[in-house]
Amino acid sequence: MSLEIKAYCPNLTTFNTPTSLIYGIGNIGRQDDGLGWAFIDWLTKESILSKAETMKHYQLHLEDADLISHKKRVLFIDATKEAAVETFEFVKIEPKLDFTFTSHDISIASILATCNLCFDYIPEVYLLKIKGYEWELKEGLTDKAIENLNISKDYFKNIQK
Amino acid sequence: MGKKIIIDPVTRVEGHGKVTVHLDDNNKVIDAKLHVVEFRGFEKFVQGRPYWEAPMLLQRICGICFVSHHLCGAKVLDDMIGVGHSTGNNITVTAEKLRRLGHYAQQLQSHVTAYFYLIVPEMLFGMDAPPEQRNVLGLLETNPEMVKRVVALRKWGQEVIKAVLGKKMHGISSVPGGVNQNLSVEARDRLLNGEEGLISMDEVIDYAQDGLKLFYDFHKKNREEVDTFGEFEALNLSLVDEKGNVDYYHGKMRIVDNDKNIVEEFDYHEYLDFFSEGTEEWSYMKFPFLKSLGREKGSVRVGPLGRLNVTKAYSTPLAQEALERFHHYTKGKSNNKTLHTNWARAIEILHSAELIKELLNDTDLQKDSLILMPPKTDWTGEGIGVVEAPRGTLLHHYKANKEGNITFANLVVATTQNNTVMNRTVRSVADKYLNGNDIITEGMMNAIEVGIRAYDPCLSCATHAVGQMPLVVTIFDAKGNKIDEQIKN
Repeated sequence: MSLEIKAYCPNLTTFNTPTSLIYGIGNIGRQDDGLGWAFIDWLTKESILSKAETMKHYQLHLEDADLISHKKRVLFIDATKEAAVETFEFVKIEPKLDFTFTSHDISIASILATCNLCFDYIPEVYLLKIKGYEWELKEGLTDKAIENLNISKDYFKNIQK
Repeated sequence: MGKKIIIDPVTRVEGHGKVTVHLDDNNKVIDAKLHVVEFRGFEKFVQGRPYWEAPMLLQRICGICFVSHHLCGAKVLDDMIGVGHSTGNNITVTAEKLRRLGHYAQQLQSHVTAYFYLIVPEMLFGMDAPPEQRNVLGLLETNPEMVKRVVALRKWGQEVIKAVLGKKMHGISSVPGGVNQNLSVEARDRLLNGEEGLISMDEVIDYAQDGLKLFYDFHKKNREEVDTFGEFEALNLSLVDEKGNVDYYHGKMRIVDNDKNIVEEFDYHEYLDFFSEGTEEWSYMKFPFLKSLGREKGSVRVGPLGRLNVTKAYSTPLAQEALERFHHYTKGKSNNKTLHTNWARAIEILHSAELIKELLNDTDLQKDSLILMPPKTDWTGEGIGVVEAPRGTLLHHYKANKEGNITFANLVVATTQNNTVMNRTVRSVADKYLNGNDIITEGMMNAIEVGIRAYDPCLSCATHAVGQMPLVVTIFDAKGNKIDEQIKN
């Protein structure tokens, strides 16, 4: 875990308001792609951020721009295969039309830019990326992904204290 | 020295594919192919699973047309337990109407995605526009109000799906013999009247009409290019009702030729008697064809253009008016203009919206007779389901053993049905845009992609893909030497 990650990490309790959205992205039928949902499940089970709206979805759609236009603060959680991420990474997202769009693949930055251009509003948006390793058609996280999930959970539990 | 150009990946098409164009020493196109390089997985994946799981598992093939896969699978399960149109013991009226409502909503939102996100930007900015402009994000920068409407349309379609299937994506409402819930009055009124942040049914129809007008305006300005782009004759396939009009949920399979003569018409349970599938070593996607006509002449076109060529009329007024204009344009003959698929798609957005309005005003949707439960002795262990998915005719076929575990699954999806005509489109467009040129511009390569995108293919569906494949753009000379390579995206 790098120092830069810690610098970006807010106390999760700042998301514990009705105007916050916690949005897990992934597919539990594709092994470690289920990390985003697993983090949401943990929040729900532990009653953490119970005042915020939580949701789990397979992928982002352009209409999510409308969804986040009603929120003050949004936390997306997704699995990542980025080599630079060892366990997890927390980043603030800035609006950017980055032209990655297909109807199956639109970036969070583009969603935020869409929100800005369509609704003239930019919520505070963060992304928690948790490192995954396997993506085949199989349910269940790999052991290494579970380890990374637990590290991220411990980290956020600790900085709330 | 001849050249081989590979366009890979085909952007803004679901899944992954690549196009190779072979040029001779004079830069004349000598061959062009659409390759699908993902591999099959789902049909094996479901084997050994309980039969009732199949529609839930197989809808995960796709995040766009999951309702079609779910409903198609549900129709198979109806067959397996001895219920359905083929048995004379059909599911209840309420159950069928609820399934149709979800189906039409998915067609609406899927077509809206394809049309507004992927196609309209190209219509507005042109095929030669910079790649960073000719997409929905380019549209967003120049016309955010239009995108706002598209977002509203998508959101409304997803809300209908959620109301019917319980979730916006990969929901489950259809069960063997019917559905598990009806539509509440509150949900119906919300969809009809809208609320803060949700447009009304009438606004959906207004926006659908505006979308169609976009095509008319584009066509008026670019008639020559639009009408001649990828034009070639093909057979057309659609499910039809007793009157010979498209039925997106159920009917007979009808195939018509260029003069709209019926070439074949049959109960889809007899599909294997009429269709066979060819294979090529250069693609994982199969090539279905009518046995009676053979591989060369027996391939069919499915999807919006195929359906509008087959159907004689619509039951809803605004779509019927649009259909008459569409039919009149080709003077009663089949329309073979690839880019008119986008016209057909815009008409189907309107048709779907009108069909949804009819259903939302139908009180059968609030009734409680939802499911038939036949005796176990009616178990057949095999079923075939067909629906008209947004991209075209979709077929699922399962068999199960006495314990109810799947032993066989076969899926023939719309993109597979369109495989041959997509390849012909690629060849046709390559001939027109690449012939005689020794410089291959991005705009010219995009023309080929435009031809493919008209079919809105889902290559993940077509191959039931597992995993990911690396993709590159490569040019080879006639001797197989690599002379250029690039990665798009």
